[in-house]
Amino acid sequence: MLVLRQFGKVARPLFFAALALLMAFPFYWMVTSALKTNDEIWQSPPTLWPQDPLWGNFAAAWNEAPFFRYMGNSIFVAGSIVLLQVINSGMMAYALTHMKFRLKGLFAGIILFGYMVPATAVYLPGYLVLSELHLLDSYAGLILSNCVSVFSIFLIRQAFIQVPHELVEAGEADGASHMRILWTLLVPVTRSSFAVLALITFIDQYNNYFWPMLITKDPNLQLVSAGLRSFFVEGGAYGLKWPLIMAASAFTIAPLLLVFAIAQKTIMQSVNMTAGSSKG
Amino acid sequence: MTRSKGMGSLKPVLFTLPAMIPFAVFWLAPLLYVFYLSFTEWDFMNPEKTFVGFSNYTDLLSNPAFYKALRVTLLFCAGSVIPVILIGLCLALLMNVRLKGSALYQVLLFSPWVTPTVAVSIVWSWIYEPEVGLANTVLSWVGLAPIGWLQDPKWALVGVLLVTVWKSVGWAMIFYLVALRNVPSDLLEAAGLDGANPWQKFIRVTLPLISPTTLFLFIVQVIGALQAYDQINVLTQGGPSGSTRTLLYMYYQSAFESFQIGEASSVAMILVCGCMLLSLLSLEVSRRTSHY
Repeated sequence: MLVLRQFGKVARPLFFAALALLMAFPFYWMVTSALKTNDEIWQSPPTLWPQDPLWGNFAAAWNEAPFFRYMGNSIFVAGSIVLLQVINSGMMAYALTHMKFRLKGLFAGIILFGYMVPATAVYLPGYLVLSELHLLDSYAGLILSNCVSVFSIFLIRQAFIQVPHELVEAGEADGASHMRILWTLLVPVTRSSFAVLALITFIDQYNNYFWPMLITKDPNLQLVSAGLRSFFVEGGAYGLKWPLIMAASAFTIAPLLLVFAIAQKTIMQSVNMTAGSSKG
Repeated sequence: MTRSKGMGSLKPVLFTLPAMIPFAVFWLAPLLYVFYLSFTEWDFMNPEKTFVGFSNYTDLLSNPAFYKALRVTLLFCAGSVIPVILIGLCLALLMNVRLKGSALYQVLLFSPWVTPTVAVSIVWSWIYEPEVGLANTVLSWVGLAPIGWLQDPKWALVGVLLVTVWKSVGWAMIFYLVALRNVPSDLLEAAGLDGANPWQKFIRVTLPLISPTTLFLFIVQVIGALQAYDQINVLTQGGPSGSTRTLLYMYYQSAFESFQIGEASSVAMILVCGCMLLSLLSLEVSRRTSHY
């Protein structure tokens, strides 16, 4: 038993080190492939580190397609969506938890119903609705069609439920408006939930591919995933420019890994909250 | 006086409008619309939609392509959800001790989840390259024949599933770590005093206590698998010969490639019903298990 435990003490860290390396290996492979020449990338057996790292590949890929524009689009659209979701989730959750009104049950039911409907299944009619509203191929279409999230509403509702109602009543007694109570009393108390909402929504929207690709045909409006994909298909011509494709993938991923590195604690904390909000 | 009272009952509704208006426009209306479209025949171009009753559904049920897509969808669900949950749980159990550098490992294992599916799928398509790709190079080191990862109908789904599982195991592991930390240690000690061995402790105490997490992961993963699109689009586009065409991919292709709106809508309704059934099931189960 003791031997086994000693063995576990050595084996466990080794196992996790190996596993972490294995999981991270596609990222390593992406970056090192980005530094190779086209000949070297087609060499067999492959080299673990390029003989002569070509850092210029990153600049070449960056200039070959409008990646600055793509990433700017993604960051702008994702940022706007985060802002709108903070506002409408906050107000909705406030009404559901700290106000009394006749339609409350109905609205809560509708939101719950939305939680059960897969977004992808309504893309076709959603596309038709956007086209009726003349919002195809516009930033407004990209942003407005994603500006509510049932997940965000659930997350904030869960946080607001735990705020004692006396706090709201005290605010009302002081003559504060509901808006004031919401933004100056409740939001500061529950700011960690809002941080989780902002991060998860930003990551989701930055990575969003299917829906933005459907509703925008204008290359100037492409988000980064769709831009990368068209670079892969056209510019890269499936394998003629693999190093450049890898370089492009690398700087598409980089901002998210950076966000993740900085906000790692908050994102991990989101697990706790998501599991909590799922219990309704 | 009456007026201010009236305003009072209007205010809560005003608070819900910023969420409810976009929700109605972009969720509810499309859902009703797709329900209606599933009873029509339409090709996008024609201004007229012909009402055809249930014929889209009956056509679908007699179409072998539908059953093939259904089969791929079920295989995709099973092949992604079961490994993600099992591996995620095993990793969490192994990590649920004092382990040096565990924060770093968590970050590394979690990072595929954060990164765009399209970008990582492109990297994987290079790893799967048949001639010089890393996957086949590794196979040759251990003396195995190369595999047509994305070209061979027998392997393409496996190739897509590997990427999908790689993306999610770290995420599942984090959920299980949180759940395992919430298992009260005195319960485990009490079981130990009663003579339970570690395996019995795990089966009788730990597993039931973390079952809400398992249920949550199961539902979320199944719904995610039903909606998987990005990795299929980049890696195989549903091919070769339909071996990775799920119901969702079939829906996309009949809607936006062959413009059979009626058929696409009926596939969408089947997906919606499947997801709603699963969610209702999960609510029911969590209501029953939340007693303890």
